[in-house]
Amino acid sequence: MGLEMEPLLQAWSYFRRRKFQLCADLCSQLLEKCPGYQEPDSEFTVSQAAWSLKTRALTEMVYVDEIDIDQEGIAEMMLDENAIAQVARPGTSLKLPGTSQGGGPSPAIRPVTQSGRPVTGFVRPSTQSGRPGTMEQAIRTPRTAHTARPITSASGRYIRLGTASMLTNPEGPFLNLSRLNLAKYAQKPKLAKALFEYIFHHENDVKNALDLAALATEHAQYKDWWWKVQIGKCYYRLGLYREAEKQFKSALKQQDMVDTILYLAKVYFRLDQPLTALHVFKQGLARFPGEVTLLCGIARIYEEMNNISLAAEYYREVLKQDNTHVEAIACIGSNHFYSDQPEIALRFYRRLLQMGVYNCQLFNNLGLCCFYAQQYDMTLTSLERALSLAENEEEAADVWYNLGHVAVGIGDLNLAYQCFKLTLANNNDHAEAYNNLAVLEIRRGHIEQARALLQTASSLAPHMYEPHFNFAALSDQVGDLQRSFIAAQKSKEAFPGHVDTQQLIKQLKQHFAML
Amino acid sequence: MLVPVFTLKLNHRILPRMVALGKYDGAHPCLAAATQAGKVFIHNPHARGQHVTANRTMQSSQDSDISLLNINQGVSCLTAGVLNPQLGYDCLLIGTQTNLLAYDVYNNSDLFYREVTDGANAIVLGMLGDISSPLAIIGGNCALQGFDHEGNDLFWTVTGDNVRSLALCDFDGDGKKELLVGSEDFDIRVFKEDEIVAEMSETETITALSPMYGSRFGYALSNGTVGVYDKTARYWRIKSKNHAMSIHAFDLNSDGVCELITGWSNGKVDARSDRTGEVIFKDNFASSIAGVVEGDYRMDGNTQLICCSVDGEVRGYLPGSQEMKGNLMDTSVEQDLIRELSQKKQNLLLELRNYEENSKQAELSVQVNEADGQRGVIPANTQLQTALSVNLGSDSQAAHVELCISTSNDTIIRAVLIFAEGIFEGESHVVHPSLQNLSGRIQVPLTPPKDVPVDLHIKAFVGYRSSTQFHVFELTRQLPRFSMYALSSPDLVPEPLSFVNFTISERVQRVVMWLNQSFLLPEDAELQSAPFQVCFTSLRDAGQLCIKIKPNGEISISTDDIDLAGDIIQSMASFLAIEDLQVEADFPAYFEELRKVLVKVDEFHTVHQKLTADMADHSNLIRSMLVRAEDSRLMGDMRNMKKRYMELYDLNRDLLNEYKIRCTNHTELLNNLKSVNQAIQRAGQLRVGKPKTQVITACRDAIRNNNLNMLFRIMRVGTASL
Repeated sequence: MGLEMEPLLQAWSYFRRRKFQLCADLCSQLLEKCPGYQEPDSEFTVSQAAWSLKTRALTEMVYVDEIDIDQEGIAEMMLDENAIAQVARPGTSLKLPGTSQGGGPSPAIRPVTQSGRPVTGFVRPSTQSGRPGTMEQAIRTPRTAHTARPITSASGRYIRLGTASMLTNPEGPFLNLSRLNLAKYAQKPKLAKALFEYIFHHENDVKNALDLAALATEHAQYKDWWWKVQIGKCYYRLGLYREAEKQFKSALKQQDMVDTILYLAKVYFRLDQPLTALHVFKQGLARFPGEVTLLCGIARIYEEMNNISLAAEYYREVLKQDNTHVEAIACIGSNHFYSDQPEIALRFYRRLLQMGVYNCQLFNNLGLCCFYAQQYDMTLTSLERALSLAENEEEAADVWYNLGHVAVGIGDLNLAYQCFKLTLANNNDHAEAYNNLAVLEIRRGHIEQARALLQTASSLAPHMYEPHFNFAALSDQVGDLQRSFIAAQKSKEAFPGHVDTQQLIKQLKQHFAML
Repeated sequence: MLVPVFTLKLNHRILPRMVALGKYDGAHPCLAAATQAGKVFIHNPHARGQHVTANRTMQSSQDSDISLLNINQGVSCLTAGVLNPQLGYDCLLIGTQTNLLAYDVYNNSDLFYREVTDGANAIVLGMLGDISSPLAIIGGNCALQGFDHEGNDLFWTVTGDNVRSLALCDFDGDGKKELLVGSEDFDIRVFKEDEIVAEMSETETITALSPMYGSRFGYALSNGTVGVYDKTARYWRIKSKNHAMSIHAFDLNSDGVCELITGWSNGKVDARSDRTGEVIFKDNFASSIAGVVEGDYRMDGNTQLICCSVDGEVRGYLPGSQEMKGNLMDTSVEQDLIRELSQKKQNLLLELRNYEENSKQAELSVQVNEADGQRGVIPANTQLQTALSVNLGSDSQAAHVELCISTSNDTIIRAVLIFAEGIFEGESHVVHPSLQNLSGRIQVPLTPPKDVPVDLHIKAFVGYRSSTQFHVFELTRQLPRFSMYALSSPDLVPEPLSFVNFTISERVQRVVMWLNQSFLLPEDAELQSAPFQVCFTSLRDAGQLCIKIKPNGEISISTDDIDLAGDIIQSMASFLAIEDLQVEADFPAYFEELRKVLVKVDEFHTVHQKLTADMADHSNLIRSMLVRAEDSRLMGDMRNMKKRYMELYDLNRDLLNEYKIRCTNHTELLNNLKSVNQAIQRAGQLRVGKPKTQVITACRDAIRNNNLNMLFRIMRVGTASL
């Protein structure tokens, strides 16, 4: 067989080249040669190394950066009261979207999500739906809004990741956690760290991971910041945010780390104290000037608090540091689009295209930008390409919806009608399409159909003011003043500043007064 | 007559003593109070109508004044004030049994969140001594901690028992505030930063303290006593069958001097003059008072007195104007005066009749001498003698101090009334022998529970066996501090192993004087040949106490009771006016016990962490189960729903059991921590002045660094370095 690499080195090399399965297999072979591989405390340093390498390889296979996982389950959302203030002053809480403070566009121009926040240019778990009012609503939302919110943060994605331990090894898990003597491993800092990550990420057994971390940090005489961060992570997963906060703060005192700052901010995010989180970020920025993740974190918080202009400012700051930051480009792009500058938005989306982002959503946006920038030739080609790139029916529905929009814009109502119908064929939960279709039906004089469509739209998306207002206007036209008034009230609730609604209500009130 | 200027019904229950008024946005005063289920509510009537449009989930206008804060733990103390002077507005401080939260209400953000293992029973906010920034000082189990606005603890010391009340007051008139601490061992201690400058013994747990002005402060006890101290002297006190829930100093009659406002458990609020304790104003609530605060709640430039009751009723009173001349009661001065004078007249008439009767009898008595006794005439030279002695007790009676009261002739004592603080339950004691065994001699057993000097105020009824009227003799006798120790011979029992050694530069005679004053000796000890040795046996637990004095001023005290050693040193130091005293001490048995406690504390911490993680895990499971069950319900899948709810029920029961375990664990931990704090306090008590504070700080550093050997060395020699 000519030249053969030293097996451990080869395993190491596999690991470096991110061929984790191969690495793990090789390590298993190595470990089988020396018996008792469950006990790496024997004198054979080679077996220790192989053992450690295998744990790391298995961990890396399922590793997801803990910072970016933010899934607040339904249960946490509904049942926990981590936030101190139940009704905080507007602008100090993430729970209440409140009015936009930074003078962002009104909901008349920029659509809002269910929670009343303007849609963002970049999909994050927390941007999709807000905090529902009741348990029933909370359970229903994921079904209709395609958010796939997990039941609790402890279930959901973590469980899926955790099952990896069963799959990788048909003859049983690599380590039997209940048989491990954690205290012994805690004495060996190098092995303990690999083992911790394995338990935490691969086995997903937070309780045991916490035990190990607690023992290890004691062994390190509370002087190792890394362990403190890990303990904090465990507490965070368990939902013990105050304990987590303490650990992260203590770790930060020993060692300035961007990661720790991000974790700490996440804790405050959960405690619904965005201003404290901002404070943490800004303190972090003083120590790590220009750090992109910190800037981005600030921008996200401002965006969640509806302070669009400040958010855009920080996204720009991000781009100054890292001009390939997709999230920042997308957010600024959508911001420009909704603030009536489609040409500038187009430039940002083109930039994304240059960077190799090649998907349905991007072409969709490009198409719309082109349309509003009156570059009609590009519009249809972009949207066509978007349609061809659509991966699932929801995406296709969105593209058809936008096509319908374009058709309305150029006055081809027949095409628009068909486009909206196609949207609904692809996704029958598309409230906006129902609404627009209803408007078209009104124009055709099909009042009853329009009314049914509007009712469907408003039940699907109670947060949108348009169906309510349209319904009110329609009822007003046909003389059903009572229904009109009720719908107008709903519309006002969804968008208090809508002038037409206000006028309608005023008018109705006059009518009622006359009666 | 003073009527409330506003009355509010908040519809939220208020926990007693958990009321604070703060300007959380720098301008508008808001009322914050703890309510049930670990919540704090803030009543803000000023922002009405400001955020009506902002808010999607609109509330009714009544409710929108109140915002609730979730603390998720039982609130044990609460205050508001300026913690960070740069912020320009007040922050809210909330203490629970395990944590302290400083919360910026305006910005919905934490200033800091600290774990305080000793708990927070009382909190006070303000400047202390020379420390430059405002401190939030919390009193927990035997410990005091002060935090600045970043959560750094700039102040730490220990005290004798669980702290129940705190106040800041310029006690010695130097322009800086001293800390008053009322604790469960009935003591009010005054800390000048971390040094105790004064100690006053009361008769019950001190539940509230309130600075009045200057060095004057009010206090309230758990037995219903309310009073005012000026420095260490008590001005007045009154006792009620109700409990004082909250006291506050407020100038209600605009005479420039604060009155003591007391909120009682029966719903009464009264204002008493600081000089006499005379009631100048009172009002009644339907339920117990929760707290009394002051502030400009109507934003009209006048400060109001605000009283809150436990069921959420709030009343505000404006101070009476000058014209009312302090007359706040509904009755007029004239009526009062007439009532007072007629009362006096009644008394005088009674007295006069008595004298007439007596003189009539006296005239008659020339004839019938035997009847003397009946009329209550006793020989003019009758004297009442009192003697204190140690009674070693018998089989039927425990050892005690005996107060013997006797008359100097054949008269008898009908009854004796003894008033002394802290010895008898209810402060006074009456002895009235049955008619058959009346004699001229009465013995009263006393067992003072603590080693403090007590004044016995004795009133005896003296007369003849057949008298119907008696003469009252009044006298005061002081019970020496260490009266519960009987002199014993040095050779009988082995000397205790533990000892304290120190050297003083005083003459031995002075020490002997102290000895005579503080102990009940059969005859005054004479200065025998130095070295000089006396031994005592405690009447409480038969422990031995041995004091040896060498001619060069070296004194050694041997006793196994570290508290007693501390008391003796403190008493001796104050008698001999010693300012600083460093001692060498060794209490092997006590130290061994402490070592065990410290090991236990470590164990409890580990177990606690495990239990917490377990509980969090379980509660996660419960949450997911609940959502699943609800999901099944929404889908109409009743069978699954039932199954899920059954599982939920079982899990819930498990969780409850786990909680019980955790509770026990926590109480154990608290007790152990308390004994650690007490140990530090006792080690400090063995020293006087500067060495005392040094020992306390050094002990804390040692505990922080988990250095047990260092801790014991400090307790032994008094310093960390060799």
